[in-house]
Amino acid sequence: MHEISPALHTAEIIHWIALTVMVVVYTLRIRWLLSFKLGKDKSAPGNPGQSNKTKGARHSLFNVAMPWSMESTRKPKGFVFYISFVLFHLGVVAGITLAFVSTVAPNFLAIPAVGWTMMFFIVAALLVSLYRIARRTLRPLMRLISTPDDYFSLIMLTVWFALGLVTQAYLMGIWGVTSQGIQIAYLYLTSFFLLYVPFSKISHYLYYPFTRIYIGRALGHRGSYPVARS
Amino acid sequence: MMEEQLAKKLNRQVVGSLVGCVHCGMCDQSCHYVLAFPDDPKMTPSYKADQVRKLFKANHDWTGSVFPWWVGADKAPLSDDDLETLKDMAFGTCTNCRRCTLSCPMGVDTATLNRIMRGLLSHVGVMPEGVRVVSKDQWELGNQMGVLKEDYLDTLEWMSEELEEDLGHAEATIPIEKKGAKIMYCINPREVKYDPRTIKEAALIFHAAGEDWTMPEEGWDNTNFGLFSGDDGLGGACAKREYEKARELGVDKVVISECGHGFRSTRFEGVNWAGEDEPVPMESSVMTMLNYIKEGKIKVDPTRNPEKMTFHDSCNNARSGGFYEEPRELLRLVSMDFQEMYPNRTEGFCCTGGGGAMSMSEYTPRRLQSAKIKADQIRATGAKVVVTSCHNCVDGLNDLIKHYELDCEVKQLVNLVANALVLDEIEKPEEEVHVPEEITVKPVVEGEPLAGRKILVVDDEEDVRTFLITVFEDAGAEVISASDGDQAVAMASEHQPDLISLDLSMPGKDGIETFVELRSTAETEEIPVCVVTGHPEFRQVIYDRPVPPPEGYLGKPVDEDKLVAYASHILEHRDEKAN
Repeated sequence: MHEISPALHTAEIIHWIALTVMVVVYTLRIRWLLSFKLGKDKSAPGNPGQSNKTKGARHSLFNVAMPWSMESTRKPKGFVFYISFVLFHLGVVAGITLAFVSTVAPNFLAIPAVGWTMMFFIVAALLVSLYRIARRTLRPLMRLISTPDDYFSLIMLTVWFALGLVTQAYLMGIWGVTSQGIQIAYLYLTSFFLLYVPFSKISHYLYYPFTRIYIGRALGHRGSYPVARS
Repeated sequence: MMEEQLAKKLNRQVVGSLVGCVHCGMCDQSCHYVLAFPDDPKMTPSYKADQVRKLFKANHDWTGSVFPWWVGADKAPLSDDDLETLKDMAFGTCTNCRRCTLSCPMGVDTATLNRIMRGLLSHVGVMPEGVRVVSKDQWELGNQMGVLKEDYLDTLEWMSEELEEDLGHAEATIPIEKKGAKIMYCINPREVKYDPRTIKEAALIFHAAGEDWTMPEEGWDNTNFGLFSGDDGLGGACAKREYEKARELGVDKVVISECGHGFRSTRFEGVNWAGEDEPVPMESSVMTMLNYIKEGKIKVDPTRNPEKMTFHDSCNNARSGGFYEEPRELLRLVSMDFQEMYPNRTEGFCCTGGGGAMSMSEYTPRRLQSAKIKADQIRATGAKVVVTSCHNCVDGLNDLIKHYELDCEVKQLVNLVANALVLDEIEKPEEEVHVPEEITVKPVVEGEPLAGRKILVVDDEEDVRTFLITVFEDAGAEVISASDGDQAVAMASEHQPDLISLDLSMPGKDGIETFVELRSTAETEEIPVCVVTGHPEFRQVIYDRPVPPPEGYLGKPVDEDKLVAYASHILEHRDEKAN
């Protein structure tokens, strides 16, 4: 049974405050995006047999789950990147779950099946993030397009995954990790993460539905979405 | 200035694309420039789009205002060198083909961002010379190649006469400015200037289908350099000309000849730039021809197109117009041996002539290098004919075929449909009277249409010179020749030929300088000039000179019938003017 110490309790409160701030900033971000006028295509549907805005938007939105739909994720090299993308983002979900559940139901994460599943995703994401750091720093192309925010966000997530891994070990009572300080540190880092995210590239997932639906509707209207495979 | 202009171009979709990029680099392998220049990271689509993104972040996104360095924000470029670098990037390393857009996991429309950058640069007067000149022509003369109204009408008349000659009666003339016609047919000025045969072929097909159609006196240019320069004002003005003419003539439909960007601009973007609804339904001539066959209005015989063919998708048709199955359907109906190239449809690679690239000769070497992937695609099909539904693609493909020495030629669907057309009115005489092939194909042999004419052939390549001399002499002309520009100017002054056939690429004084000197010298300024060149990228340059344009233009390799026909036409036209 994991006790909730005053220090952990404080970290938990700060964590929730950070989450609230993030939600507020995200709300402002969406309002800001919506403050721009929506461009409307006045042209008639491109191809009566194919044109469908809704179908195009739906295809575009769920594109993320269809690696075969884009050449960039269909080809072998791209598919490997796609798998790493999936693992990385599942790791993020696991890390966020860990942060919230570890204070309200820590014993749940100590159940071996749950704990090892969490561990798997966090470890996988940690490995992917290390690969991504290498990719971003070693490839000239990636260096050219990277901003300090790109590097910082990635490094911060890598440290977060590493700390999450140790926190999960603490909750499972394995590898000799016994200090609650790890969990507290993880919560503080998560709080910082939540506060930083809305100001960084990590907030891309907030825009994802918008960009995907917009391009899907536009190309669906023309008749070129869903993509016709070669 | 750029900041203010950017603000005008922002809408929710554009802002989404500006904030959505995560710099994952997944777009890189989709770009033909990246594939051709793997060691130059600046070719990456996301890097090009970042140039607009920087500006946006600095001026519109508060994270960029507060922490510009942190998120890669940057104010408007300050120096001329910066602007030149941006110009080379936006115009010279991207054809706005939109392939990267379809490869972006976030749905970022990078091609649109590049077009925005072009628009910002154009707004401050920074653009390739070719783009500037063509845009100016389109603003001032209503078409992008500076075709004068009388030349346009004269060409239509010429094609009408040829059609009449082919069919043996006058019922198939090209109707001009016919009010209440069902169809208004709009074309690419390239057809008037370099390939009027396509106008005749379209007219033949309309005639065969019994169509009630017309061509307008004005507002006939379906192309739109606003798409390439990023100038929405020009885009709207060009589109409005066509829309207003369609309303004025009271037609039921606008049919757009085979031009990829013309189709996209007229059919889709034009209404948005012009801020008005479609005047009437608009469709590509490919749809029109396909429907004629399906409805039984015309009959075709595919055995007349027996060569192995492949199809190249115009980016504007396929990716931005959803128009890729119909051309294939039509091609299969009018030809015998179709071989698909891969990738294709919305995933096809650009011919590299898109985005206005054909008018930016300064980037030609880079463009041709980036064309290797398309050349490899074509070569892999083993096709003898590459079919496409776009005039820019015709030029782009011709360039790469020549550069990579491919054993094939480029045709458009209108060429194939016209060739496959079964017309009772001209089929029957062929069955009854067995005319020797030489007489039907080469009528010039018996008529010597250039008899009594003196022609000066100017070309530095001896074999080409000999070929041209032989063709003109066979057509009855007296021929003199020069191998360089200085000699040409001297001989033109001394001999006063009726016509000068002028090569552009020559050592020493090149054809462009020679042309300007001929036009600027009192003794030679009136002599008609027909440019004959293997460098289509130079053609815009010569039309940019501050002297009257050449009377004709032919690309190498030259078809001898076409050469004689052009020469005859130019000389007849000059005679008519003189009289």
